[in-house]
Amino acid sequence: MSRAIILVRLALRNLRRQARRSAITAAAMIVGGALMIFSLTIGDGGHEDWIRSGARMGSGHIAIQAPNFQKSRKIDDRLAASARGAAVSALQSPSITEHTLAVVPQLAVVGLASSPTGARPAQIIGVDPIAEAEFSILDDKLVEGRYLEPDDRLAAYVGAGLLEGLDLRLGSRFVLTAQDADGEIAGQLVRVVGVYRSGVPEIDQVVIHIPLTTAGSWLRSGDDVTTIAVLLESSDRVERTSQKLNRELSAEIEAGDLTVLSWREAMPVLDAAVRIDDLGNYVWQGIMFGIIALGIVNTVLMSVLYRKREFGLLQALGFTPRQTGGLIVTEGIILTFVSGLIGIALGLFLTWYFFRDGLDFSFAWDEDWSFSGIAMDPVFVPLFRTTRVIQSLVFLFMIGIFASIYPAYRATRIDVAEAMKFER
Amino acid sequence: MASGPWWRIGWRNIGRNRRRTLITAAGLAFGYLAVVVLIGLMDGLTAEMIESGTGVLSGQLQVHDVEYRPERKIYDTIGGRDGADVERLVREIAADPVVEAAAPRVFAGGLVSSGESTVAGILMGVDPELEAEVSSLMNGMVRGRAPAAATNEILIGTEMARQLEVDVGDELILVAPAADGSMGNDLYTVSGVYQSGMAELDGSYAVVPIGTLQILVALDPGRIHEIAATVTDPWMAPEAADRLTAGLSPLGLEVEVAAWTELRPEMLDYAQLADGWRFVVIFIVFAIAIFGVANTMLMATYERRREIAVMLALGTTPFSIVRSVLSEAVALGILSLAFGAAITFPVMFWFHNAPPDLSWIYGDYTIFGALIRPRLRVEYNFAMALWTGVALLITALVASLYPAARAARVPPADTLSGL
Repeated sequence: MSRAIILVRLALRNLRRQARRSAITAAAMIVGGALMIFSLTIGDGGHEDWIRSGARMGSGHIAIQAPNFQKSRKIDDRLAASARGAAVSALQSPSITEHTLAVVPQLAVVGLASSPTGARPAQIIGVDPIAEAEFSILDDKLVEGRYLEPDDRLAAYVGAGLLEGLDLRLGSRFVLTAQDADGEIAGQLVRVVGVYRSGVPEIDQVVIHIPLTTAGSWLRSGDDVTTIAVLLESSDRVERTSQKLNRELSAEIEAGDLTVLSWREAMPVLDAAVRIDDLGNYVWQGIMFGIIALGIVNTVLMSVLYRKREFGLLQALGFTPRQTGGLIVTEGIILTFVSGLIGIALGLFLTWYFFRDGLDFSFAWDEDWSFSGIAMDPVFVPLFRTTRVIQSLVFLFMIGIFASIYPAYRATRIDVAEAMKFER
Repeated sequence: MASGPWWRIGWRNIGRNRRRTLITAAGLAFGYLAVVVLIGLMDGLTAEMIESGTGVLSGQLQVHDVEYRPERKIYDTIGGRDGADVERLVREIAADPVVEAAAPRVFAGGLVSSGESTVAGILMGVDPELEAEVSSLMNGMVRGRAPAAATNEILIGTEMARQLEVDVGDELILVAPAADGSMGNDLYTVSGVYQSGMAELDGSYAVVPIGTLQILVALDPGRIHEIAATVTDPWMAPEAADRLTAGLSPLGLEVEVAAWTELRPEMLDYAQLADGWRFVVIFIVFAIAIFGVANTMLMATYERRREIAVMLALGTTPFSIVRSVLSEAVALGILSLAFGAAITFPVMFWFHNAPPDLSWIYGDYTIFGALIRPRLRVEYNFAMALWTGVALLITALVASLYPAARAARVPPADTLSGL
C-alpha cells in the first residue's frame, strides 16, 4: 500500500520537475478532452432531437401494431379490438405512464388524394385531434389555417407539398380514395382546414391528417386503429419500456395479435443515420486522440530516456524493473487523467456556458434540411449525460495507460551498470 | 530560409534523435492521413448524395413549361396546349456538349389496381430507349424487362408489386384523371419489377410507355411535361442550364431549364457546408498536432542548449539560431509529409476503387430523400491534399516559433559555465 503511495508521489514529483513539458502535453489533452465533450454533448443533443422529431412526425418512440402492418400498410392488418384493449391497459401501468408523454391512436392507410388538377399518392392518417395535437409535431408546423378540432367532420390537414401538387387552397375540397375494410374502393370528400410545412418533402407531399371518426366511417373500420403510438419523455427509456410492454403483452404477441416496435424498427433509415453519425463522431475522436496519444508517448518516452541514470540508480538501490515500469505508467496516467479531467470539466463548462440554448447553424441552412425522414433543426441543443462523462473518463484513462506502455517497457530494459557508468 | 548552413544544420538535427523524430513525424503523418481521408469521405458522401438524388429519377437537368413547377398540373405541358416538337427539342438538348442523354416524360397520378388490392401511384410515361440513359430506375430491374414502346406494358417497383401481390406477366388496371377532366382507364401487363432501394419510390412510381400514357390521360403526342437530362459532371449542370435556356429561346417556347442546384437547393447548401467544413477539420486536427511538435522541438532545443550557447559565443546571431530551429521544423514537416503521403495515397486508392461496405452493420439511410449506402467511398481531391500539406508545414513552423525564440535567448556565458 505504502509502496503505491510512494510511487504516486514519485510520479507527481517527476511531472513537476518538467513542468513546461508536462504543461504542453497536458494542453493537448485538455483541448482534446474539451473538444470531445463538446462534440459528444452536441451530437447526443442533436440525435435526441432527431429521434424526438421522427417519433412525433410518425408513430412515436414505440408503436404497437398488428404484426404485418409495418410491411403491408393495409387496413386489413389493423389492431383487433381485444389486442388494442390489452395494449391500452398495459400502457396504463404506473411504471410506464411515469415516463410517457402521450399515447395516441392512429388509423393509417395508403390512398390517393385527387383534385381537378391531378392525383397524388398519400398516406392518410386518421387521428384523435386533441391527443394528436399533443403528440405530433405537425400541428406546430402550421403555416395556414388551423389544426383539426374535435367536432371536425370532413376536415383534412395537409402538407404544403401536397397542397401545391394538387393546386389546392385553404378551404378547397378534394377526394381521398383508398381500399376500405371490406376490400372495396371507397372515396371520401374532405376540405383543407390547415396546411403545414415540416421541411421534409417525404412528409409534406404525402401525409394527410383527418379525424379518426371520419376515417372510421369512410373506411368502414369503426373505432379500429392500425397503430397505437407512444411518445416517451426521452429516447433513453425506449428499451426498458418496450421490454416491459413485451413482457406484459406476451400473450397477445405470441397469439400474433400485435407487435411492439421501437422507433429503430419503425424508422430503420433514421436509426442508420443516427448510428452512422455516432460512428463518424467516434472515428473523429479516435483520430484526435491518436494524435494526442502519440504526443504523450513522445513526452513520456523522452522523460524516460533523459532519466536513464536516475532509473539506473533507483534500480541499483532495489527498485525492481516492474516498479520502474509502474512508475512510468503512473506518471502517464496521472498526466492524462488530470489533464483529461480538466479538459472534460472545461468542455462541460464552455458548452454549457456558450451553447446551453443551442449551437446555431441557421447561417448555413434553414429548416429545409431533411434526411432519413426528419427535418434537421439547425439549432443543436447539447444533452449532458453522466454516462457520456464516465465513458470519456474511461477512454482518457485507457489512452494514458496505452501511451505509457512502450516507454514503461523501455524503462524496464535499462541496463543498470551501463546507465550509471558515465556522467552525461 | 534554405540559404546558408542553417538549413543543413536544421536538416541534420532531425536525425539526432531518430526515435523522437519518428514518433513526432508519425503524429503529423497520421494527422495528414486523417484529414485527407476524412475530406475524401465527406466529398464521397456529397458525390453519392448528388448521384443518388439526381441519378435515380430526376436527372441533373430538367426542362419544363414555365408554369409547370411547382404545381405540376397535368395540362401545363411544354409549349402549352399546342404542345411542341418533342423529337427536335430532345435532340437540341442532347446536343449540348456536357449533356450525356435527354429523355421526354409525361406524368400522371392514378390508381393502380390488381383486382384484389389497389394502390395510388405516380405514372411516368417514358421513351424506354432514351429513358434508360437518364434514370437508373430503368436499369434497376430485379425481374422482367422495361416496357416496350407503344404497348400496354408497365414497370412497377418491388414495393408496389408486393402491395398488389402481382408479378411479371400479371395484369393491372390503371385509373387516372385525364387532362380533359374525364377519367381514363385501361388494362396493362406487368413487364418488369424494379428496385431503387427507396421504399417510397418503389411503392409509388410506375413506368409506362409515353404514348400509351398520353392516350390514357388524353394528351396529344406532342404534349409532354418534362425533359430530363444527365450531364457528364453534376457541377457543370448550372452552366449547361444557362446555355440551354439561351439555346432553346429561338424555338419560341416558354420553357424553364433548371439544374439540380435549383431543383434541390438544399443539396447545394449541403455541398457548400461540407466544403466549408473541410477547413474546420484541417484546423482542429493540426491544432491538436501542434502541441506534439512544440513539445518535441522544445526538448530538442533544450538538450542542445550548450551547443547553441557555443554557436552564440562564436558569433552566430540569435536570428540565425531561430533560422536553424525553424529549418529543423520545416525539415520535420517535409519528412512527415512524405511519410503521410506514403500512407495516405494507398488508403485513398483502396477506398476510392473498392469502398469498404459497412452495410453489414449499418442500414441504408437517406439525405434529402437521396438513398445513401453505408460505404466508405472517397473522392480524390488533389487540391485539398495539397492544402493539407501546406497546413502541415505551417503547423510545424508555428509550433516551433516558441522553441526557436527560447533557443535564441539562451544566455551563452551562464550556459557554458555549467549553470
